[in-house]
Amino acid sequence: MAEDSRGDPACGGMDGRKDPVPSSGGFNFPEYEFPELNTQAFHVAAFGELWRGRLRGEEDLSLKDLPGGREVTDSGCEDAAVARDLGCSLETAAELRAVCGLDKLRCLEEGEDPEVIPENTDLVTLGVRKRLLKHREETLRIDRACRQETFAYEMESHAVGKKPENSADMIEEGELILSVNIFYPVIFHKHREHKPYQTMLVLGSQKLTELRDSICCVSDLQIGGEFSNTPDQAPENISKVRTIIEWSESHDRGYGKFQTAKMEDFTFNDLYIKVGFPYLYCHQGDCEHVVVITDIRLVHHDDCLDKTLYPLIIKKHWLWTRKCFVCKMFTARWVTNNDSFAPQDPCFFCDVCFRMLHYDAEGNKLGEFLAYPYVDPGTFN
Amino acid sequence: MGTPSGLKDDCEALLSRFQEMDSVRFEDFAELWRSMKFGTIFCGRMRNLEKNTFTKEALTLAWRYFLPPYTFQIRVGALYLLYGLYNMQLCQPKQKIRVALKDWDEILKFQQDLINAQHFDAAYIFRKLRLDRAFHFTAMPKLLSYRMKKKMQRAEITEEFKDPNDRVLKLITSDVLEEMMNVHDHYQRMKHVISADKSNPEKSLDLIKDDFFDNIKNIVLEHQQWHKDRKKPPLKLKVKGGEEKSERNSQQSERCERAESLAKIKSKAFSVVAQASKSRRHRQVKVDVSDSESGQVQTKTTRKRKNKETLKPAGKKVSSRDRDDMQNIHMEDKSLNLSMPVVTEEDEENESFSETEFTAPKRRRKQRTKS
Repeated sequence: MAEDSRGDPACGGMDGRKDPVPSSGGFNFPEYEFPELNTQAFHVAAFGELWRGRLRGEEDLSLKDLPGGREVTDSGCEDAAVARDLGCSLETAAELRAVCGLDKLRCLEEGEDPEVIPENTDLVTLGVRKRLLKHREETLRIDRACRQETFAYEMESHAVGKKPENSADMIEEGELILSVNIFYPVIFHKHREHKPYQTMLVLGSQKLTELRDSICCVSDLQIGGEFSNTPDQAPENISKVRTIIEWSESHDRGYGKFQTAKMEDFTFNDLYIKVGFPYLYCHQGDCEHVVVITDIRLVHHDDCLDKTLYPLIIKKHWLWTRKCFVCKMFTARWVTNNDSFAPQDPCFFCDVCFRMLHYDAEGNKLGEFLAYPYVDPGTFN
Repeated sequence: MGTPSGLKDDCEALLSRFQEMDSVRFEDFAELWRSMKFGTIFCGRMRNLEKNTFTKEALTLAWRYFLPPYTFQIRVGALYLLYGLYNMQLCQPKQKIRVALKDWDEILKFQQDLINAQHFDAAYIFRKLRLDRAFHFTAMPKLLSYRMKKKMQRAEITEEFKDPNDRVLKLITSDVLEEMMNVHDHYQRMKHVISADKSNPEKSLDLIKDDFFDNIKNIVLEHQQWHKDRKKPPLKLKVKGGEEKSERNSQQSERCERAESLAKIKSKAFSVVAQASKSRRHRQVKVDVSDSESGQVQTKTTRKRKNKETLKPAGKKVSSRDRDDMQNIHMEDKSLNLSMPVVTEEDEENESFSETEFTAPKRRRKQRTKS
């Protein structure tokens, strides 16, 4: 995906698109173009620099572990630092440490279970939660997370805090992390209102091609061709067919003029983007994905710090896979039309059931049918 | 996921109580926090995913109160709230507080203000949050995914936490009113002087409504009262005995208290506070009960009139709605009776008033319903 890359004023690029809301801040200060919807375009690396400039010299950008056990640190030393930063006396600093300690926030006694809702609470939130728990207790036999919830949580947290084995793979301080939603091209009726998407985290320093390569799309796996007579020639292990069309092809689609740009020449840092704005990624000639960059922020110590794991997928829409009509157990790998054996048209089969039903022991075709290899959208679950 | 139900209520309850304390000390906030057991807001066997989402939403909500246009006290309260939520959360690793680039400069300015004003506890807490790396430094305050929501949920700003921005009061200030009244006075006197009959001005000179000034004042006060009523939901009083007489009495005492509370409000609006002693209680503001609206203010009454007024509700058919209104009067602390700052005008008006006791309220009522 190549953005309409505007040149820097210094090197005389082409004119940018006109924005409805004039930008009041600096050139690369993220601001809403349409309130609550998307921002105006800004340069990613320049935005990063605006933040880094403000935080330089402080510990905010550091990715190092905090000195272990803050209670162990020399409180006298800490007080001196406080006194210096706030411009107060050492006594005041010591007093502050006592007055603002975390123990002042504790609401539970020593032995109390942090998960149990206290009896006489005025908090509305807890009242609501209590009722919900009671309802769950009354209606559910087993109260635990469903597969989808476990899956979603795993996706969100599986890489958190990971450090690379090789220190060369460590993300640099001040690196930017972009959060990208890539919508599936699958069109089901039930997805009318909320189109399913996956969310990926990508580093500012990574090339566009790296994101492209990480997008798993079933259209990459489609094999054209009817294989009822030669079922064995349908590739067993379908490998990705990579015919990625250059962005310039979209000229025919009437989306307006776009500059041809080689994806491998650009990193995300080089782009001018609008946060929250839908872009289009086109591949395989006609497979279109809507892409929205939802967030950009500085890397944090608690993020996954292993460069090699990026682009990192953190959210995926769980798609129900179509199961074989016969065994209802395995994911369908074949779809047939005009099938004399099948009760419906089209009909889906897993590999084993397909062969058992349509071919004899010697492998001769039985009956009349048309068979196509099928790749279920949920293959990438 | 939108803001979890009840979370906004709880945060606002905490912040408004903190606002009432009239303090910006963390000590006081912590006491409030502990008394409300606010830290338990994370309890209740939330599973991991829900815990993450809930905590994120809580921090986002609290963050809103930390930025302008909220008052200084609310912003400090929000800072303490963020500190509490961040440290008491059950997520591992901790959910972070998102700061957008456009807000950071304002935050730093706030931090500097805190230091300059020697609010060291607040400054210490902000510094501690930074050292603990509680922040995510982002482009925009929240994730934008171009969801075409049918109802655009705009974040509502809680009015009572804002610095009051009452344009009506800005237009018609106490100075303006005073001047208007002086002009009116002068005008009336001039009319008297140039008329043949010194006590009554010529009829031909009746070009304006005599009570024009009163009406404006009343309208402004009503507006102010409406503002106050909008913010604070009225507290429900105990239902007093069914006897008409006691009801009347209770209505009377409630009206007294109501009147006092209104007087207190007025004194806040008009910077000059003239405390009337008990001997001047007849100048006490009164509520016009005969109207079915929640509260009308009559600025001048006589004692006689007050008694007469108490009969009116008994004579009229008091609708149940009226009764409810009476019971829903907002009780404030008893304060001294306060009169309008300028005395001379009242004397005059009082006189004319006592003549037309019965008719005047009706007239007023009519005018009000007209407007």
